Amino acid sequence: MRRILRLIFGVTGPPIVPTTGWSAPLTLLSALCMSFLAVLTIVAGLAATRLAAEWRADLTGVATVRIAGIEASDPATVEKVQEILRTTPGIAAVRPLTDEEQHALLEPWFGTEAPLADLPVPRLVDVRLDGAGPDAAALQRRLDLEVPGTVYDDHGAWRGPLADAAAGLRRLALGAMLAVLLAAAAMVALAARATLAGNLEVIRTVRLVGGEDRFIAGAFIRRITSRAFAGGAIGAALGLLMIGGLPDLAATGILDVPLLPGRFGTAIMGGLVALGATVVALLTAQVSIRLALRTIL
Amino acid sequence: MVELEEACFSYDGRPVLRDLSVTLEPGSFHFLTGPSGAGKTTFLKLLYLEHLPDSGSFTLFGDNPVEATRREITLLRRRIGVVFQDFRLLEHMTVAENIALPLRVAGRDPQGYANDVAELVRWVGLGQHMDALPRQLSAGEKQRTAIARAVINSPDLILADEPTGNVDPDMGGRILRLLIELNGLGKTVVVATHDLSLIRAARGTVGARILRLAGGTITQGAGEL
Repeated sequence: MRRILRLIFGVTGPPIVPTTGWSAPLTLLSALCMSFLAVLTIVAGLAATRLAAEWRADLTGVATVRIAGIEASDPATVEKVQEILRTTPGIAAVRPLTDEEQHALLEPWFGTEAPLADLPVPRLVDVRLDGAGPDAAALQRRLDLEVPGTVYDDHGAWRGPLADAAAGLRRLALGAMLAVLLAAAAMVALAARATLAGNLEVIRTVRLVGGEDRFIAGAFIRRITSRAFAGGAIGAALGLLMIGGLPDLAATGILDVPLLPGRFGTAIMGGLVALGATVVALLTAQVSIRLALRTIL
Repeated sequence: MVELEEACFSYDGRPVLRDLSVTLEPGSFHFLTGPSGAGKTTFLKLLYLEHLPDSGSFTLFGDNPVEATRREITLLRRRIGVVFQDFRLLEHMTVAENIALPLRVAGRDPQGYANDVAELVRWVGLGQHMDALPRQLSAGEKQRTAIARAVINSPDLILADEPTGNVDPDMGGRILRLLIELNGLGKTVVVATHDLSLIRAARGTVGARILRLAGGTITQGAGEL
């Protein structure tokens, strides 16, 4: 370890800062907790973003035509609607939903034994769009004229709120991440101050034998940064392991996307969180220790 | 080397040193005496720049420490070796590491000074304790470690605060001889002590001056031993 420190930092002797003391585990624990929370925040933010993207993808490029009233059960009406759609520019494919598919859609509300044939259920036609899709207003006017009561729905009413929800979730995740970063910086600053306070006599002695602020700060910053890295790595690993250990939410149908972005992505995320904890600790410790040292002649 | 002219210093609003005028020539030897609480330690703290005078003039190695930057103060301190009354050894470091500290903080190459440290450790009679921690040493051994640390950087000015206060008379004599030997090498030495037997022991061996501190000011004697 000493050899590695010597290579990286030019450390050439025993640590100036004692390795013991109550403040020693404070930085490690702070970084551990903050990295753990950061992992949760990032995973939640990424999952929300992926979920919103998936919802958007599901609703983009498709539309639905709803045939209401008693005509809905008339095959000729359904055929006529299909013909109108097939001859409309911007529509790639048309397919009426089968009874089974319609039954499946209604199952959550009516159960498996519902007599759909006896209910005035609208007939749904799945429409695959070509490019930007048809002129929705013109198509609706034609449908009103030829098959009254039929509605063309391009899901625009869903896409807007979904986009807003996705943007809101991203903002929420960023806000949470910022809060975690600020909390981490504050905790590292406190830990740095505590470490300094606990080693005031050591600092005074080193100053009196000719130690510069840079030398003393370097010793403390190295210690705090290495602890932050260790805590950050442990916290990130714990967070990722705990999330990885959750039941498969996609299989349960609660969430349509996996929480973790694959093995490689997960490893990168863990590394970045540990690195982030280290950088936050490095910058915070640098500032707080330099300021504190100025109070000691 | 050191010139204080009408220097004053207050601590928490209470005057400790006032109108203090003293000159320490290069290569001189001084005993700083006075009753307990007279301000001997405070005077030494002025010299090693832990305190700075509130007023008056202060010249150290030709510089004015009052107007010095933090880095300049650090560089001035590297020319001063201090034997603190409470030793101020770093408890987590060995004897050799404590002694090497001034060289290490000055950025010297450890390979370059390892032999010097080992030689100095033996010179102060701690060859057997090189890897011992301070808590494993007696008061006298700590004192000698502190002295070795004070001189390892070959400072121009050596300040010793009650260097024999924690040791038996025999060890006190050895420490005094060590300081006299360093003075013989051209170092300016100031020994704060209220131990008159130490001053008497130096009689005839070194041309020391006595600086008497009373009422917050110094009367500088010459050739009084």
